[in-house]
Amino acid sequence: MSLVDRPFYSARPEWKDVEPLEQYENINPLAPILYTDEYKDATNYFRGVVRDGEKSERVLELTEHIIRLNPAHYSAWQYRYETLIALNSPLATELQLMDEIAVKHLKTYQVWHHRRLLLIQLRDPNPELKFIAQSLKADAKNYHTWSYRQWLLAYFNNDDLWSGELDFVDHMVNEDVRNNSAWHHRFFVVFQSGIRDSEKDRERVIKRELIYVKQSISLVPNNASAWNYLRGILDHNKLPYLTVQVFLEAYTLDTPPATGDIVDLENPPPSKEAQLPCPAAIELLADVHELQGAEGVGKAIDLWKSLRDIYDTIRKRYWDHRIKGASHREGV
Amino acid sequence: MLDAPLPPCSRLGHVGHAKRCLSGLPSAQVELDASTMAVVFYCIGTLDLLEMLEGKTSESDRQSWRDWVWEQQTHGPNGSGFRPSTYMTPQRSPNVQEDCTSYDGPHVIMSYTALLSLAILRDDFSQLDRPGLIKFLKSCQREDGSFSTVIGSGDTDLRTLYCAFAISSMLDDWSGINVDLALQFVAKCRTYEGGYGQSPNCEAQGGTTYISVASLYLAPGSPSTRLTPPERQKTIQWLVRNQLSSGGFTGRTNKEADACYCFWCGAALQILGARELVNVRGLGQFLSSCQFKYGGIAKVPGEHPDPYHTYLSLAALSMYPPEADPTWAFGPLDPLLNARVETSNWARAHIPAR
Ligand SMILES: [Zn+2]
Repeated sequence: MSLVDRPFYSARPEWKDVEPLEQYENINPLAPILYTDEYKDATNYFRGVVRDGEKSERVLELTEHIIRLNPAHYSAWQYRYETLIALNSPLATELQLMDEIAVKHLKTYQVWHHRRLLLIQLRDPNPELKFIAQSLKADAKNYHTWSYRQWLLAYFNNDDLWSGELDFVDHMVNEDVRNNSAWHHRFFVVFQSGIRDSEKDRERVIKRELIYVKQSISLVPNNASAWNYLRGILDHNKLPYLTVQVFLEAYTLDTPPATGDIVDLENPPPSKEAQLPCPAAIELLADVHELQGAEGVGKAIDLWKSLRDIYDTIRKRYWDHRIKGASHREGV
Repeated sequence: MLDAPLPPCSRLGHVGHAKRCLSGLPSAQVELDASTMAVVFYCIGTLDLLEMLEGKTSESDRQSWRDWVWEQQTHGPNGSGFRPSTYMTPQRSPNVQEDCTSYDGPHVIMSYTALLSLAILRDDFSQLDRPGLIKFLKSCQREDGSFSTVIGSGDTDLRTLYCAFAISSMLDDWSGINVDLALQFVAKCRTYEGGYGQSPNCEAQGGTTYISVASLYLAPGSPSTRLTPPERQKTIQWLVRNQLSSGGFTGRTNKEADACYCFWCGAALQILGARELVNVRGLGQFLSSCQFKYGGIAKVPGEHPDPYHTYLSLAALSMYPPEADPTWAFGPLDPLLNARVETSNWARAHIPAR
């Protein structure tokens, strides 16, 4: 983990004026970490600097060193940020350094938190979108990376920032149609981040989204992310589940229906390669039926039984619970 | 496959793993430097869940552990609480009482794990600075209702909020936090999938869903006013769907199963009163396959174990013991505080001011 062969701070004349402070250790420490000499040396000097309250260029070097050895050292991050501000350091340079450090430590919370603090000062969010897209190439489902994008969009909330977002998320979904982070992001962009001018015609937007998700399902039916998205559209916009009944039915059969040349955008059929029946479609169709009186409940129960016994046996107890609940309510 | 008999739980192996970690961690684990208290909690908690604390450790060990945890209680101008370890503390005479620097101060998540660790060790909590702890929580709550982990840091998400709730609940004193504001923040983290994300606008995730649900049920007052029946139903549905055909739970839609989500999702379901919906057999199969041959439990089969996944797996099994095998039998767990029921009873009896 060591950087080039750099001499220890204790051997460097320019650090002579700082008193290194060893870490306090109880005689019986619990879960002590066997530090490397390099880490010990750097943190000894860090404790010294913190006690003196020194905020200088060399503190930036020291905190960078510690962060590279232990990116979860939140005190080093906090002190580094305060030093940057105290020195009036060019934060754009810091951001460049972070481009490199972030990619190395994508899973460390502090890396992203520091970036937010920098952006709040710099107030130049647009180039960040490209950086985020780049780091998603290394890890397309990274939670921190997506949260950072969501924060950036919501915090700065300018039209320019939002303008390419649907295309971006479409690209991410196409790269991996099972990437739930991308589907979640689409929902956030379309339904949960305010309504931008180009999206004012909500009826058109809802129709567009329904077609989008149904098309995706028709190509890859067994994709929980897409089904959750479909349910999300219906619930969020208070659309009755009944509106998708026709669409669903084809997905609950054992084989794709024979189709003519007529393309029905509202009800795209499952592709020829589709694995059928699709448990998520059976589940949603059962939800549709459940709302349609005693006869509907009977149909729903048959569907739940097929899930319980054949198509989704891991959730046997859940399907039993649904069957019991509905029978009880309807007195079936 | 899920009907195959379970391999036995290597209880002594897991004890060994916890004790080894308590005695020291290799330098490669340096990223745990700023969260040692949590590691300590997972290790001591593992011994507690296995009911091996009395049998496999000495009273003098346990006393030195209590002393270590108390040594992390620090006092500053904005209140007191527990720090992760002495990783920012300079060497000095331990008798010198001085205010901590703001870089060596208390941490909300570490305070929660410290209180639970002390409860496991059956401490009498006579050393607890209760007013200081309440003041500390107050200083950490932000305008949007969320909490920062340490004073003055913008580092905030739902985990910290849950820990502030759990601490207030253990203290039986909610004066340190604005509960309504905090609950508004929780509500903002809810997503269309039925789970909760780490912050507003974020994707639904098993860990933060547990934390949200537990917070809704820990807060004083009636949980049913905070979660409508359809909302509750949708959350249950999402949680149940996270159990995969391997029997393990995933934390997010379309991701792989991971041992820790057996706890996070399983505990959320138990809190929501839906424990009968879990496939207990499958859960036991998955977690038993995550056991490492030299002790400890890993996030997935074939990987190296760690205290976090070991503790959470055993905690999941405590809620959902697979009936068949006696080596997999555990005492009951309090899912709200994430501790064995006896431990949580001890905490609730001894932590409040008297
Ligand atoms: Zn995990």
